[in-house]
Amino acid sequence: MNATDLQSIAPELTLALAGCLLLLLEAFTPKIRESFTALSVAAGLFAGWQVLGLADGASFGGLIVANRWTAAGSLVTLVSMVLCFLASHAFLKREKIFGGEYHAMILWAASGALFLLRGQELLTIFVALELLSVALYALAAYNRKDSHGSEAAVKYFLMGAFASAFVLYGIALLYGSTGSTRLDVIAERFGSGQASPVIGVLGVLLLIAGFGFKMSLVPFHAWAPDTYQGAPSPFVAFLSVAPKAASVIVLIHVLRTVFPSALATDWSPIIATLAALSMIAGNLMALVQKDIKRMLAYSGIGHMGYVLIPLATLDAGSWQPVLVYLVAYALMNAGAFGLISMLYARSREQHLISELSGWGHRFPLLAACLTVCMLSLGGIPPTIGFLGKYLTFVHAVSHGQVWLALVGVGTSLLGVFYYLRVVYYLYMKDEVAEPTGLAIDFWGRTAAVAAALGILALGMFPARLLEWLLGQN
Amino acid sequence: MDMLVGNTLTRLIFFPTIAALGLVLLARASERTVKVYALVVALVEMFFGLSYAASVFSGGHFVNSSEGPFAWIPGVGIRYHLVADGIAMPLVILTVMLLPLVILGTWTGIEKRWRGYAASMLLLTTGMLGTFLAADVFLFYVFFEVSLVPMYLIIGIWGGERRIYAAVKFFLYTMVGSLLMLVALVYLGWSYAQLSGGTWSFALADLLRVSLPAGPQMWLFLAFALAFAIKVPMFPLHTWLPDAHVEAPTGGSVILAGVLLKMGTYGFLRFALPLFPQAAQEATPWLVALSVIGIVYGALVAWVQVDMKKLVAYSSVAHLGFVMLGLLAFDLVAWQGALLQMINHGLSTGALFFLVGMLYERRHTKKFAEFGGLAKVVPVFAFFLVFSALASVGLPALNGFVGEFLILVGSYKTLTWWAVVATFGVVLAAVYLLKMVAATIWGPLENDANKSLADLNWREITTLVPLCIAMLWIGVAPARFLEPSRPALEATLAAYQARASQPAPAVPTLLPAGSPVQENR
Repeated sequence: MNATDLQSIAPELTLALAGCLLLLLEAFTPKIRESFTALSVAAGLFAGWQVLGLADGASFGGLIVANRWTAAGSLVTLVSMVLCFLASHAFLKREKIFGGEYHAMILWAASGALFLLRGQELLTIFVALELLSVALYALAAYNRKDSHGSEAAVKYFLMGAFASAFVLYGIALLYGSTGSTRLDVIAERFGSGQASPVIGVLGVLLLIAGFGFKMSLVPFHAWAPDTYQGAPSPFVAFLSVAPKAASVIVLIHVLRTVFPSALATDWSPIIATLAALSMIAGNLMALVQKDIKRMLAYSGIGHMGYVLIPLATLDAGSWQPVLVYLVAYALMNAGAFGLISMLYARSREQHLISELSGWGHRFPLLAACLTVCMLSLGGIPPTIGFLGKYLTFVHAVSHGQVWLALVGVGTSLLGVFYYLRVVYYLYMKDEVAEPTGLAIDFWGRTAAVAAALGILALGMFPARLLEWLLGQN
Repeated sequence: MDMLVGNTLTRLIFFPTIAALGLVLLARASERTVKVYALVVALVEMFFGLSYAASVFSGGHFVNSSEGPFAWIPGVGIRYHLVADGIAMPLVILTVMLLPLVILGTWTGIEKRWRGYAASMLLLTTGMLGTFLAADVFLFYVFFEVSLVPMYLIIGIWGGERRIYAAVKFFLYTMVGSLLMLVALVYLGWSYAQLSGGTWSFALADLLRVSLPAGPQMWLFLAFALAFAIKVPMFPLHTWLPDAHVEAPTGGSVILAGVLLKMGTYGFLRFALPLFPQAAQEATPWLVALSVIGIVYGALVAWVQVDMKKLVAYSSVAHLGFVMLGLLAFDLVAWQGALLQMINHGLSTGALFFLVGMLYERRHTKKFAEFGGLAKVVPVFAFFLVFSALASVGLPALNGFVGEFLILVGSYKTLTWWAVVATFGVVLAAVYLLKMVAATIWGPLENDANKSLADLNWREITTLVPLCIAMLWIGVAPARFLEPSRPALEATLAAYQARASQPAPAVPTLLPAGSPVQENR
């Protein structure tokens, strides 16, 4: 390890150190707690700036990689983190659980996510995954006065532990068959026929399953609705984006090493099936939800199905649609959960969509932002959500997977139906709930407006983003 | 910035959006201020539209003018490219002329949340104008979709009792078609990329050069045709229309009938037919049958309605059936008639929806049974109702006659028997529209509630007079309105026929650039 290596993980170090600093501040100067939001947002922005400044290439002897794709993935994580912090401020104050450990754990989780999506070696990937996951388990139960939160955390922990075990077992099998945990070496061993393909295939399958859990793909999705429903709403803005984004990128790294190799299995049908199942089941189940958090959990399962489409025919061209989709997903999903945390009073088991009735007229700004998020989630132009779907379908059609595009289109239609229901309650029904006890403040409004503007601006003027992503080869 | 300041299409399309953002500044303004603001914006937009039309009108025709192409979404060949020609301009003029009338005509009809209403109308205008002016098929798709959301809100927030049902139905029907069209569009763009060595493009001029084998071509045509047939709407995909019309507020109905439905027929004329000529040729008999069924069915169902607005809504199904029949005749005269009929329908049906809305504001009912003998109490209203109904029926010297006559003459050549059947539609139109007139304004004045009805005020008259002038003007001097669009229609038709006369290729082929296809855009 040398100075260059340290520079190459500057964003992760910033996040980790900022977490430590906040914990110390919490212990010694608890009176300045309310500035933690600003501090953590600043740390996030600074890390984002560092991500953009990273030199392309590998470091730590090839364990960690940096390029525009990992940079985009890092930014997705940081965007969801910043939106989460902004939306958390009023929520934590209202619930009287404002404390440095909340911010610290999210910063560490983000640091783990960044390591995870940049890892090129399986043990690095595993340690990063655990750093991310353990922080998330604790955060899901952060509202200790809320029994639903504990229930959510336990479910998440049990399922997550399974997933970690799968990943670990997969790593062991890959190591057993190739004698290495480095992805490039594994690929080379498979390529030259030195390794046992049967065990290797099993190992990759286990990795897909393990990260499939983290991405909440069908059939590994069962934890997501319960966890989202019980966990603190603003935290779900982070929980529903960062681990999924990082897992997708890890999957691409893993699959890219084994795809062109001599492994006998053709991976396309497996990935395509997972994608189709997730799109269909996620959207169908979202259709019948009355609780907005459960609805978004199921719809998030569907969205991961869309993200997976380009992975079914993986090549360098898969990166762009995946990353544009993830950028869109970060803005619209984190934005939506941030708004939910503001528009629902008291944390409790149910967050009925019908409680939003008529609030389009009472909270015009927030409702407009939520509408933009919903339209983007539904894939309606001119939003970035539409662009993500569009590029995904383009990739599918141009790689001979027209059927996947058609499944995507069909399920998008289901999506439009339930996303519009939120708009319908906001604007077309009379109020039913008392607008009291809501956690709306300047920070939250900033998050909402930033997300909505980002969705529209990137949707209408995507050229810079796309060119930047295409610049990587 | 120049594009937003000069007399350009970009300014024309996006001025309403910018003006809608301006409404945010009027957060504390009174309702009246908002209305005046909206009216002023609408008038300015109308001025922009007309001055642009004047600038491209020369030698008795609309000359093609374009903006762009500018790269919009790199890598996949999506460009911002607008073209105004003789097909688009009449619809653009109709749109910008209807906008101020809609604001004026619903001045008191919309009783709540005027800010949102004005914003929705203005955003809708951007969507509609963009749809007619886009020369990149992807850009067209974006505008086509963008216009959905404001209309959904207009129906859903300011509509009648079953507004939610109608709004969702409207949205989902349109989405089903347009999403399939999106996949077809991607496939077409990909085919172009395959043939041109990897360069993606969605420019209409480029995609028109793609000639696909019969199989894929038919699938793509069906996807496009479905999207547009829902929008038109063609029988049997019309069921969303009566719901949407009946539940929408007056302004929504006027714009829906006047402009939004034309996106469907325009889509056929501009995209579905020219892009897939052989498939279109093959599907023509079926589509013609559906159009004629729509004419007769729409008329028969309109006949038995007891609700004025529903009657006018079903009359739209019949009238748009005529437009489709004209387009499917592939004959210059029929196409001229069809394009004119798109405008005519916007004028006369728009006026009828305004009149129904004005009556509804006074009596809060639209049922025939509640009325009768109104001519005695509201003679001005009666005059306008008779005038608009006659225009809609197709009385000579009014606009409807010219359009329907040209369509029937043009389609008689190629679709003889279908044209004969469609002629009965004209007769039926007379039956149901005169039934409506008879049941409302003639006969004895029996209902006491009607005896003290106020006649139209100057604002309502101002709304209707421009429409009636246009109806009369088109009726007495049709050549003045047909001639400007003739070259564009001729070029499109010639390009279509040149391709349709050839059999579909066995493998995807790229036709050479500069073929007649290129002329029209």
